Amino acid sequence: MKKNQIQNTEPRSIGSELIIPIIGFFFTIYYFYTIIDAPWTAQVAAFIVGALLIIFIIIFIIRSVKSINMGHGSLNFENLIKPKALVPKRLIILGLTIAFIFIVPHLGFTITTFLFLAIAMMVLNNFQNKRFIIFLSATLSLGGYLLFIVAFDTRFPAGPFEIFMKGFF
Amino acid sequence: MEMEYDFAFFGEMFFRTFSLWWVILPAIFLGLVVGAIPGFSAANTIIILLPMTLAMDPEIGLTFMVALYASSRMGAGIPAILVNIPGTAGAAATPLDGYPMTKNGRGQQALAMSFTASIAGGLLTTVIALFSLPWLSQIAYYLHSVEMIVIMFFGISLIATIAAKDTLKGLIAGFFGLMIGFIGTDVVYETPRGTFGFLELYDKVPLIPALVGLFAVSEAFAIIENRSIVSENGLSTMKKSSWAKTFEGVRIAGTKWWHIIWNSLIGLIIGVVPGAGAAIASFVAYQQSKTFSKTPELYGTGHVEGLIAPESANNGVTSGTLVPLLVIGIPGGATAAIMLVVLQFHGVTVGPDLFMTSPELAFGPFMAMAVTYALMIIMVLPLARYMSNITVVSTVYMAPIIIAFTLVGSFVPRAYLFDMNLALIFGVIGYVARKTGYHVAAILIGVILGPLMETYFLRALRMSEGDIMVIFSSSIGNTLWVFLIISMALPYIIEKRRNKDVTIVTND
Repeated sequence: MKKNQIQNTEPRSIGSELIIPIIGFFFTIYYFYTIIDAPWTAQVAAFIVGALLIIFIIIFIIRSVKSINMGHGSLNFENLIKPKALVPKRLIILGLTIAFIFIVPHLGFTITTFLFLAIAMMVLNNFQNKRFIIFLSATLSLGGYLLFIVAFDTRFPAGPFEIFMKGFF
Repeated sequence: MEMEYDFAFFGEMFFRTFSLWWVILPAIFLGLVVGAIPGFSAANTIIILLPMTLAMDPEIGLTFMVALYASSRMGAGIPAILVNIPGTAGAAATPLDGYPMTKNGRGQQALAMSFTASIAGGLLTTVIALFSLPWLSQIAYYLHSVEMIVIMFFGISLIATIAAKDTLKGLIAGFFGLMIGFIGTDVVYETPRGTFGFLELYDKVPLIPALVGLFAVSEAFAIIENRSIVSENGLSTMKKSSWAKTFEGVRIAGTKWWHIIWNSLIGLIIGVVPGAGAAIASFVAYQQSKTFSKTPELYGTGHVEGLIAPESANNGVTSGTLVPLLVIGIPGGATAAIMLVVLQFHGVTVGPDLFMTSPELAFGPFMAMAVTYALMIIMVLPLARYMSNITVVSTVYMAPIIIAFTLVGSFVPRAYLFDMNLALIFGVIGYVARKTGYHVAAILIGVILGPLMETYFLRALRMSEGDIMVIFSSSIGNTLWVFLIISMALPYIIEKRRNKDVTIVTND
């Protein structure tokens, strides 16, 4: 039984598992470069932690190479992109998120949130239930405006809607 | 100045906290809702509501967060029992016996038992933590720069060895987080380090965008994989639920009072250890309950003790995680880490001095937790039936809501557009980490501990005139180093033994 379980284990996607260690490795090297001229006492913590991180990463890379050689894993990125059918939607949501960040300082919280919620929900819902999604997006963005901006006076990005409504609240 | 902590003090604190019922009641309601939604943890909700809590008075904000945290722990048991989907990782052991009860037509009874165990366990451990805090807080006076360096390494290593499935990955995540935490100018020489030239990073990595990205944004991108959380079978099971046997469930749980006390104490102890958390506590409680049971063969078939053990333990953790946060300033878990962020935003420094300077903030969270559990006794049973319906909310709606509201939340503290970009970058790192088995909590705790660790390093080195061996100069510190090495080595030894056993079994 246990033997079967071991044999049925899916091969690991080692390529995707190496992303975090590689980012960590290059960031540590870059960090060392920025402290090379700093006084000794200001370098110690980073050198100890950074050196340990690099050791862990090297051990992980050696372990990963062993796993590939033994056939327990392969150098692919399956983990990261599966299920493949969802990749286009995920990329659209990522694009919408980037657009949200750049538009929100200009259009303000309420309008940008409404647009983001409506488009993102429609994309994820294959453009079904459009009326409900528009109603829900409007309710949530207006509710957020009333709760965060009107009731709690938080520093949310202000746009045409917030400036116009300032006269009423 | 010696502060007196007697019953009058705690009584006054209780009534002071009780006067905040108008904050606690909505937080309980919200906590039950979000606890019941898988992927929508208390931590994520607190992040979404950060603009609100940051605007509140720190005492009120903290009370709100604690009430939401405690009630979400209970809410997580609802879908675990009814539809076999734990609301949070802390409820992962709950379905083992809770779901078979539902399948046997005892769903409502199981819910009532779970609520009773949760409230009793949570209330008991909160009271114990509350009364032992004055003594626990004294421990911190024995911990100086050197000891704090070891404790911080300990915290990161424990998260790596206990919380993460793969110790090496956990260590990489934690130490990567520490390096990110080192970004910015150093406290003595003010030299910019690792900032990529961004002026916005000179004042260290802002914590709110880091936690928004690592927890909320990455979670939103991950949950869209499943269009609906609940299966058709789960939906029909939920529709058949009734209240007929609720009070019978409360009575049955009451007869297991000793089991509740014992397992909630296990939860409290595990909760005090940074990084251990509710998931570990509930499985440890379940495992030991089964080991010492007279009827271990009934576990997994809908056994009362198998449900009560994890539920009382994961609620015991709730108060435990706040102990290291308030006593030594090290968050015991993700939600405690967020509370630390909020306190830091208000300029509150946690640690032993807080018990002298602001006892209402030091004891407040525990008192808020005690009041929350007391109020939940009357609130939770009538509400629970309707709360379970929340599990049918589609991820189609949930994911965009999480992204929009949390990203804007990351903008609020400093009003820099840069912080929203930073949250997105952390979101991508968090997503990759989640999908490839790295622990996002380890990265976040590293980011939080990084600047602290560096400060303690600088202090220790200045006192020793630059001698690096100062980190091995204290007997308490050296004892902690030994424990650290043991805690790191033990999982490997256990794993090797287990592998050896498997080899023997397969060869047989």
